[in-house]
Amino acid sequence: MSIELQLSSVFARYAGNQTTLTVKGNTVGECLDDLFSQYPDLKKIFLDKNGNLLRAFDIYINGTSAYPKEMTKPVKDGDKLHIIPVIYGG
Amino acid sequence: MLSREELERYDRQIMLYGFGEEGQEKLKKARVFIAGAGGLGSPVSIYLAIAGVGNIRIIDHDTVELSNLNRQILHWQENIRERKTDSAVEKLRKLNPDIKVEGIAETITEKNIPRLVVNADIIIDAMDNLETRYILNRAAIDKNIPFVHGAVNGFEGRAMTVIPGKSACLNCVYHGVTVPREKIPVIGVTPAVIGCIQATEAIKYITGMGNLLTNRLINYDALSMTFTEFTVKRDPDCEHCGKIKNR
Repeated sequence: MSIELQLSSVFARYAGNQTTLTVKGNTVGECLDDLFSQYPDLKKIFLDKNGNLLRAFDIYINGTSAYPKEMTKPVKDGDKLHIIPVIYGG
Repeated sequence: MLSREELERYDRQIMLYGFGEEGQEKLKKARVFIAGAGGLGSPVSIYLAIAGVGNIRIIDHDTVELSNLNRQILHWQENIRERKTDSAVEKLRKLNPDIKVEGIAETITEKNIPRLVVNADIIIDAMDNLETRYILNRAAIDKNIPFVHGAVNGFEGRAMTVIPGKSACLNCVYHGVTVPREKIPVIGVTPAVIGCIQATEAIKYITGMGNLLTNRLINYDALSMTFTEFTVKRDPDCEHCGKIKNR
């Protein structure tokens, strides 16, 4: 499955200055594994030591929240994933 | 009843289709609670003041620092070391002498929030931390007061409107997540955009115009100059609003 993954601009420097990436996988977790194989620096940012998505990030599939159990959610060809950080500044 | 001077001051917005003198009178009677007089609170309060919102209560416990001045346009060089609320009240009254502006220099807590938001028609979340945002969100739900969330980081910002019992709340979106509080990067134009969205939502709610930003989280990425809209839903297990029946 070919999935479009959209990163926040904040993380573009860890992904070759890109925010729109193509990843492959049948689940969100597989897509993230593919993302980390392409851009290993992102793994330390998004996952904890146990390989779980840090709670400071939310994943949306085609604009709808993948919460809870994001990593197991299925995706299909042409889907669009967003990873967005929790932000709190004012 | 609007005075002759008010009719002249607000002439260009009274002209708006669907707004009229009736909309202006609604703004005049409205009571808005703005939590934060910083990067977001500055544009929110300025635009609500000049639009003619009749009663603005703005709260902030900080004093003005030099490092605030790249984004907090309510405060100027001459206000350094003053309370932000004193600086804010002074500017807002000068911008519009016809409105009532009240500044409260307190820290928002679970204990004082019921008193702070009493009689408010709408709550604006212009805070700088998640913990206080959750306090505001819960108070909004408990008191059945609409709540407009905004947040920024760097060149990115986010906004959403909550109608308690009808739409997803902040806790439905973030599930109680807290993150360590850090000094974050930000450039003034980002809270300017998000603060203006929040002020627009408040004006729309008060006047009954348009469609609110409910069940939608809008994400603004200035570097790619894109707005992305995410669909959010009420979480039946939400600790803040899950037990509230649809209103």
